[in-house]
Amino acid sequence: MGVFDSILYGFQVTFQPTNILFCAIGVLVGTLVGVLPGIGPAGAMALLLPATFRFPATSTLIMLAGIYYGVQYGGSTTSILVNIPGEASSVITCIDGHQMARQGRAGPALGIAAWGSFIAGTIANIGLMFVSVPLAKAALSFGPPEYFALMCTGLIIVTYLAQGSILKAVIMALVGIILGSIGLDVITGLPRFTFGINELTDGVGIIPLVMGLFGISEILVNLEESLKREIFKAHIKNLWPSLKDWAEAKWAIVRGSIIGFLLGILPGGGAVISTFVAYAVEKKVAKEPQRFGKGAIEGVAGPESANNAAAGGSLIPLLSLGIPPNPIMAIFFSALIIHGIQPGPLLIKQNPDLFWGLIASLYLGNALLLILNLPLIGMWVKVLEIPYRILFPLILLFCLIGAYSMNNVIFDLYVMIFFGAAGWIMRKFGYEAAPLILAYVLGPMLEQALRQSLLISQGSFLIFVSRPISGIALGFAFLLLLSNLFPYFKKRRKEYEGFKE
Amino acid sequence: MKALDQTSSLFWLLVSLSVFVESIRLGVGTPQNPGMGFLTLGASGMLGILSLILFLQASLKKEKLKAEPLFAGKLWRRVLFVLVLLILYSRMMPVLGYLISTFLLMTGLFWILERKRIAWVFVSSIMTTLITYFVFSKWLNCQFPDGLFGL
Repeated sequence: MGVFDSILYGFQVTFQPTNILFCAIGVLVGTLVGVLPGIGPAGAMALLLPATFRFPATSTLIMLAGIYYGVQYGGSTTSILVNIPGEASSVITCIDGHQMARQGRAGPALGIAAWGSFIAGTIANIGLMFVSVPLAKAALSFGPPEYFALMCTGLIIVTYLAQGSILKAVIMALVGIILGSIGLDVITGLPRFTFGINELTDGVGIIPLVMGLFGISEILVNLEESLKREIFKAHIKNLWPSLKDWAEAKWAIVRGSIIGFLLGILPGGGAVISTFVAYAVEKKVAKEPQRFGKGAIEGVAGPESANNAAAGGSLIPLLSLGIPPNPIMAIFFSALIIHGIQPGPLLIKQNPDLFWGLIASLYLGNALLLILNLPLIGMWVKVLEIPYRILFPLILLFCLIGAYSMNNVIFDLYVMIFFGAAGWIMRKFGYEAAPLILAYVLGPMLEQALRQSLLISQGSFLIFVSRPISGIALGFAFLLLLSNLFPYFKKRRKEYEGFKE
Repeated sequence: MKALDQTSSLFWLLVSLSVFVESIRLGVGTPQNPGMGFLTLGASGMLGILSLILFLQASLKKEKLKAEPLFAGKLWRRVLFVLVLLILYSRMMPVLGYLISTFLLMTGLFWILERKRIAWVFVSSIMTTLITYFVFSKWLNCQFPDGLFGL
């Protein structure tokens, strides 16, 4: 079957009533999560995952994808109207989006954000369709050394792109690997690091872990502050951007889509980084860069397009290689495993309904989001007015129910509370949770690949550098690590020259 | 940040030492036949080295070492109260069942930010408990514990 026949088959799967419903629920929940500060996409996905056990894997994945897309759309609403990003991927939209709202141009800002997201999402879907299949075919020839090298490189890129200290990000990744090794050993089947606790034999559950680190800790951080949100009260009109707006924003949308898609594929890239890069590029290529920060429409169009394109791009390594490039894809990965599907190069061949159905659902979700976001903007603004004193107990309760209903075990609640408190403290000390989650998911696979590679090579570590793909990947990772030292040497050289003078 | 980095690096150093010792106990094996503790030994070793680097990096910073209060100007008592409530909820749910324990939890949570409107707190807690019970237990078939009173 060619790509076009396959995508038609995908639409057949997506247009089944159950899948349309799941897609609609996903995008609605996603937009809601994006609009409301307090629970991110990872937390929302983890929350809904246990409720989907009884439904087919395709429907579950369609809903999760809808949430991921919806969050990118919804996040822009709060950034533009309230100047508080609903999500990290909308932080940069605050700068020019809110300024546009202050100048009475909230409508065009919201409009271009929605249209930019739609166009970028569609471009990313087309890219996803054409890149995934050949990549998966190429990945069939990968052995354990290649997988080990790719996972190592992925983890190093994640830590390299961390927002704070790289050293702390690497520490978090190592802690994630150690956490991922709790439970039964992948090869001998014997328990390790379980401290005699029976519930830990299956390892630390990803749902309580993600909910704790992303959901509970976020609530605790918000609770510490006395939150006062100022909602932009002016009447929102002219949601359809003018021709002048389109002329100014069109290339920003195209550039944002390409940047987002490419950075989405990279491990650790994802939606957040792509928005910052897209904004920087727009400022760089602008004829009047001084307009940025004062309500430039390109400052909204570029990042908003980038975050949606990144959402599509990040599905490629997961679906083709079975390697999740960011924590949100790690939840997708867990959802597939829970439903008995092994992500990797064989996924497309063995589960074409899931793969093509998911891709087709992205087109549907994109269209649904456009329909939902523009006419229903008034409703989302009303949602913004729900006081935090009502929201936070509800989010906490949903987290508790979500963590419990995964295995119907009280121990999972303790795990979630523990990681919630740990995440809260970690933020105070400047540690990020994203590398930990990714390393936690990749850890067991990394270990299996390492041990299998060493068994194949009879204990020789040279196997990782003698094979071209793994050698190139590890070489790149090594150079990336080495590049961290450049600023240090530059500083030392400057100090030395200063001393000489 | 100096004091915070020093404290956290010492904590991670302690964690790395514990994992390192446990990895040796589990059996590291050989490169030809790696054991259960092979990867964790490497990971904990690297964690230990990086913790030391972080400690040295923080110690060599030119800023003066001063106490950095983590909770100054923060409403940390609220956080503590919520954490205690969550732990109590986890403990009490198997005993009291979903309905009673959730009602008590929601009353506590709503009360934190809405102390003056007690009637509103009670009504909201009852409503939330019943709605979530019907949605998750009856509709989505989640199996909540019944508790002593069968509720």
